[in-house]
Order: sequence, then C-alpha cells, then structure tokens
Amino acid sequence: MRHRQQIGLALVLGALASGLPAAVTAQPKPKAGAKALDLARLQAALESGDEKRALEALSTIDGAGAAGKAAAPLVQGLLARGANAPLLGRAIEVCGGLGVESCSAPIAPYLRHRMPQVRRAAAKALIDTKGPVAVRALSAALRSPDPQVRGIAASGLGSLRAHDALPDLFKALSLKVSEAATSIGQLCKPEECEKFATLLGKQPFDVMTSGFDQILFRPTAEVPDDQKIRIVGRLRELGTKDAGNYLAEVASRWPANGSKRVKQAIDGAVKALGGRASSEDDE
Amino acid sequence: MRALAAIGLSLAATSCSGAASQAGRVFTANWQNDGGKGIAAVHTAVGSAPLAPGPGLAVGVTKSGLSAALLDGKGSWKYAGKVDALPTISGDVVVLTTGGEVVALDARTGAKLWSVSSQGRSLRGAGDDGSTTVVSLGAPGGGRSLLLAVVRDGKVTLKLEPEPEIGTPAIQGGIAFVPWSNQYVSAVDVAAGSEAGRLLLREQVSHAVNVSGKLYFGELSLIAFDERIGQATAGGATRVTLPMRELPGKPAWFTDGATVQPKSGTARERIRLYARPDGAAIGGGRFAATYFRVVMGLGATDATLNWVVTADSDVLGGAAAKGGFAFCTASGQVLLRDETGGDAGSVSLGGEVSGCVVQAGSFALSTGKPPLPLAQQIARALEARSADMVVAQRFLLRELGALQDAFVTKVLIDLAENPRTSPLLLEDGRQLLAARRSGAEHMLEALSKHYDFLTDTVRPPPVGPLADALAAMNEKRGATLLAKHLNDPANSADDIQRAARALDKLADSSEADELKTFFALYRATADQKELVSAVISVARAIVRVGGDEGKRIVRDAARDPLTHPDIQAGLAPLVVPEPADKAAQQK
Repeated sequence: MRHRQQIGLALVLGALASGLPAAVTAQPKPKAGAKALDLARLQAALESGDEKRALEALSTIDGAGAAGKAAAPLVQGLLARGANAPLLGRAIEVCGGLGVESCSAPIAPYLRHRMPQVRRAAAKALIDTKGPVAVRALSAALRSPDPQVRGIAASGLGSLRAHDALPDLFKALSLKVSEAATSIGQLCKPEECEKFATLLGKQPFDVMTSGFDQILFRPTAEVPDDQKIRIVGRLRELGTKDAGNYLAEVASRWPANGSKRVKQAIDGAVKALGGRASSEDDE
Repeated sequence: MRALAAIGLSLAATSCSGAASQAGRVFTANWQNDGGKGIAAVHTAVGSAPLAPGPGLAVGVTKSGLSAALLDGKGSWKYAGKVDALPTISGDVVVLTTGGEVVALDARTGAKLWSVSSQGRSLRGAGDDGSTTVVSLGAPGGGRSLLLAVVRDGKVTLKLEPEPEIGTPAIQGGIAFVPWSNQYVSAVDVAAGSEAGRLLLREQVSHAVNVSGKLYFGELSLIAFDERIGQATAGGATRVTLPMRELPGKPAWFTDGATVQPKSGTARERIRLYARPDGAAIGGGRFAATYFRVVMGLGATDATLNWVVTADSDVLGGAAAKGGFAFCTASGQVLLRDETGGDAGSVSLGGEVSGCVVQAGSFALSTGKPPLPLAQQIARALEARSADMVVAQRFLLRELGALQDAFVTKVLIDLAENPRTSPLLLEDGRQLLAARRSGAEHMLEALSKHYDFLTDTVRPPPVGPLADALAAMNEKRGATLLAKHLNDPANSADDIQRAARALDKLADSSEADELKTFFALYRATADQKELVSAVISVARAIVRVGGDEGKRIVRDAARDPLTHPDIQAGLAPLVVPEPADKAAQQK
C-alpha cells in the first residue's frame, strides 16, 4: 500500500515540478454556445504577480461555465508556480470547480501544504477533479496529521468509488475517522459489508447508521438482499430504541420499487423494536 | 578498659544511675585541643580490639514490622512490630525503636536480644562491638539527644543526655565513639561514663561506622580509626574520599547522622552513594550512585561511568561489599551486582518495603554474569518513562552521547521518535543526535519513516538533527529521504529548515522534483523565518541541480511580486541571468 502511495506521490510531484503543465496551445476548444474566454489576457493576469488581477481572472474562469475548462491549464500553471495563500485557495477552488481530471496532479501536492486552509481546500477540490491521481492523493491523505483532511479524504474516497482504499478506511474508522463509515457503506462488497456490520456496538450508533444507510439503499446488484436483511437482523438484535427508530426512518424512505423482502424485514424489526412503524403508503 | 587504665587516662567509673551527670563533662565545648594525643592513645588502647563485621544483611521496613534477608541467601527473618524510624544494622545486631522501646535483634536470626525504654525518643543510629550496643536517640524533629549503652542482658550501663546533638555512634573495646556538633568524635569509656579522648575534625562528621570490622568517622568523607588518627586535626589521618562529580540529585554518601531517619525511605534515601573504604582507597575501584530506579557504577578515582543498572522499583538502600554491591529495592528485592555491574543474583525480602538498610559485613560477592555493553545499559535506563527519572536520564544521555558506538545513534533516534519521551530529554537527545558522526544506516532507516496516522508512527522522525548529522558526514544517500520530508507538514519548521540546509549540500538531480515542489508551495506562503530560510536553501539547491529549468524557476520567482520579500532578497544573488540578458549586458 505504501509503495503504491509513493508511486502516486511521485506522479503528482512530477506533474507539479514540471512547471506549466500544459501549453496554452493545447487548450480544448470551447463548446458551441459557450462564450469563449480571452485566454491570452487571462494568462497575462495570472502571471502578472498582481494579486487583484489574478483573482479577477480566476473569477472570470470560475464564472465561465463549461467554457472555463479551456482555461484549466492556466490555473494549473498558477498552482505549479505557486502563489500567495489567497490566490492559492481561490485557484484550487476554481480548478476543482472546473471538474477536470488534469487539475488533480497540480492540486495534489497542496494536500501536504503547511497551511491547514490550503490543504483542506485541496482535499475538497480533489473530490471534484477525480481520477486515479486524486484517489491516490486522498488515500495518502487518510494518513495526514490533519483530522479535517483525514475526514474529507475519507468521505471523498467513497464518492470516488475507491474500493482499493477500503482496508485503510476500516483502519481509519477504528481510529475514529467517522466519515469512513459512509464511504465503507458506499464501497463494500457483501463480505466487506458484513465485516462493517460486525462493528455494530463497537462504533457509535450514528456512525454505523451512516454506513448502513449507504448499504441498504445500494442496488441489489451491488449488495444482495440477503446481506441487507442480515444487517437489519443485526440492528434488530441490538434491541435498542435507537435501532428501532433508525429502521423506522429507513422504512419511511424505502423506495416504492425497492426490495419487498428487505422492506418486510425492516418493518418486522421496527415492530419488534417498538420504533415508529412505517405507513402502508410508504410501501 | 584495662588498656586505658594502663596508659593512665583518668577515667572515673560511674554507675548507670549517675551517668547522666557525666554528660556535661563528656560533651563540653570548652575542651582544650590536645593535638590528637588523646584519641591516638585511645587507638593504641582499643584499636586492635575485635570488632565483628557482622553478616551481610538487608532489613526492610514493612507495614507490619521488619523483613530481613541474609545476602548470602542462607536465611531470612521477620519481626512484628511497627518501627518509628529506620532501623540500624551494626555488626551482629539490628537495632530499632518501636512502641516506646529500643529493641536489639540478632542480625542472623532476628531473635530479640534485649529491649529497654526509648525514653520517648526515636533511633538515630547504633553501634555494637559484640558485647555492648551503643544507641543514639532523639526526637524525630531534632533535639533531646540520648546516648545509651546496653549490654547483651539488657542492662543499661551508660545513659547520657548531652545538650549538643549527637550523631550515629560506634563502639570498639568498650569505648563508644560519639560524633557531635559536626566536628567532634568523643571517645567515651562506657564503663566510666567519661571522655577518654576526643577527635577534632576539620570537616563534617556525624557518623562513626563499623565497615566490615573497621571503624571510620565522617559524613562527606571518612577518616579511618587507625594509627594515624592522632594526626587527623592536622590533616594527616587516613582519609577516604569520593571523587567530585556533579551527579543526578547530588547524592550523599551518608545522611546527617544526628537526625532521626524516617522509617519510609525519603527522596534522600533514594539518591545515595555507596562505597566501601579500604584503607585510604575505595574498595574494588568502584562506587555506586543511586537515583530512584537507576544505579550507576562509577570509577573510584575519576567518577567515570562504568555501568548502569535499572531496577524495577526505587532503590531505597544499599551497601558496598567485597566484590560488588547490594541494592535494596522498594519491591523487596535485594539486587547483587559485581564491581563491573554484572548480575550476581538477588535475595528477596518477601514483599514490598517502604524503607531499607543494608550491611555488607563479611559478605563477599562472586563474579556475576557479564553485563551488556554500556550503551545498552543506558538505553534500558532511558526506557523508564517516569517523571522522577528525567534528571538521571539527562545525565545518562550525555554519557551516551560521548560513546562512538553506532548503536548509540539508534538509541537517540528511538528516544526522539517516542511520543512518551519527556520534552527535556527530547531536546537533549536531538542535540546529541545532530552531533553524531556514526550510525548512518540507522539514520537512513529513521528517515524512511513519516508521520502516519494509520500506523503507530505518530511522531515524525527527528528530521532536523538527522539532516545536520548526514550533512556533516556528507552522506549523500540521505538526500532523497530528506527531500521527501521537505514536503511533509508533520515535520516542524525547524526540521524543514535543517533538511533544506542539508539538501543544499547533499542534493543531486534525483531530488529536483521534490525541491521544486517545495519551492512552489512556499516561496509565497512561507510564514515562519525557518521556512523562509528553507526556501532560500532549496532555491540554492535547485540552481545547482535543476538545470536550466531550475534556474528559470528561481529567476522567475525572484522577479515575482508575490514571492515573500525576504525570500526575494535571498534569491537575488542566486539568479543566473538569461542568455538574452547576458547578451544585452555584453552590448
């Protein structure tokens, strides 16, 4: 795992260290209908060393909608060169907002910046930029000394469908990174979901339900009904009012086209636990 | 006694009941210095009288009384009765005060020999010559000195209540040697109740002690009761002293013999020196210093640290014996260590003790198991995580740093990485680590680790000190590892500064990417002077190893108004002009 992270890190560092990541000449063409940006003017502003001009340029890119993607290399260039904290924060935010994967590499090193606000902005942005570089960087960020970065990374890995990160997410959960529970619920295969379920009673109940919520509402193709019913059974065995209320709340949200078997198990458990039973309309 | 009469000393025999009236004459301050003649005559008379060394014995104070063990492992005994002061072992007897009585026990068996009234006082100390025991008593807070001489059948043959505070006495050939006023030792004829001679010392004296059958007087150092005793006032006596050295807690060889020692060992009892006088020298060439759980063996002439023993609990008492030492711990173990610190076994007191006294007596240690190397002994002592050990650990750390063994580097790294290391020790350890010039492999291994929340690496390695050491050793293998640490926010700014400085010397093109990343991240965001310094060091390295691109990056940053002004100033001398600029300059 560590080896893999090191390789990923090297890729990220390499991308940042190479200076301007892509020539302006390699910009993607704006989509038809989008207002084209004056890239030369924006580049001049971002390289001016004038904070105000550069911030304005970033706002222009941010407000350009899909056309802003054409300016992604310019923002990446700013990140690669480095800038003061206000500009960095805005550039990371704008690059993340563009949602282009090529922004992941220049943003990733900022996950390890010494300024907390910079590295937290980087972690959030990477969830939007996606791609293998973002996944590797966020996996590494689970090991960060910054609790907020760890939490954002744990959440992001679920969003990015980073199944390989599950062992680290389990470890993080055991070390009280509660955001890992949701991601585990999003990513787990049946046997991994069962492993998660065994933590019931060992982890805070609200943390566990954040993961169960994901599991129970995932498609049957990903998590079979039997697995979901086992989880409902575990909650029923817990025998607490909290468990009853939680399942009642799940029942109230259960989709009309959801599994009837699972719904029956939930309703049975709600009845047994004395939670607020769902109405027939819910079905 | 007969010998004294023969040399014509004026000794007035007196009964016990009338003895108290003699006190004024015995302990008078208006004594005429006789140039040592009196005490020399006393030595001539009784110096060769037999004085039993007694058995090697440890006596611990328990909740219910005493628990004792012979050091040779051939016997143990218990005594039921709560003592009110630390007991004393002298020769063949153990003396204690309990329930308003002074009690003497047979040292080998614990059998009660006699008891007499303590007159409402507690024990200060006692001496025994095989037939008579002299006991010094007083109030726990000081004052109310009382000297008793008691023969084996329990008859009190002398009772003096001197006005000055008297110390711990000894007795030989019927003459009690009683230290007082921190400068005198009165030789008191027990039978006559009068002073047969007096020793005037120019140094502190509160103890007269029987060391394996020979008498010594003193406190900070010891004066032997031998044929040169008459020259003591003029500095010509046989004097045994320990080498001067600042040791943890400033341990004392002897406590003040004129005070009652509490039954439970105080901090002073835990910080002590143990040495065996042998003529004018220290027997075995070693003395020992304790500091709570740590025992240090030191050279008798230069106090060089020879060995270190870390006990499982505080050392409350001890003694230097022939061939080594015995140390009594709070857990009730008596550790036997030979003169090299080798483990020569132990005896048990059967449970925890709150105070302890040890007499080496006639006991001699056999050679123990060969001890581990000194560096490993010190490492063990440094592992003890207890706030009251820090003073000794800082001392030992300095000793460790002076050793050239590569293992020392590993110990210092472990110390620096351990989250439980006290801040004082941590700083000392980091300084010593920075000064290391051996153990490069250990340094590289340490640098391969980073802070990792998911594992137990929750304190980053000591990057700064390692960087200093590796740079001084010109160890280029450290460059890549140091470069990775530049971009790790878990490292302190100080560590980053030192890593950057080392990379200025050690880096090559392999580290260029990490250097450039660091430069980009901090050239405009450095918010501490250490980081400013680090960015400039890194820029210097980039210019050296980063090729044309590296020179361009530094040049651009030097011109960029967003670059931190102090960094800009630092970059100016590093800027290599562009070819176009050069051409313009040439025109």
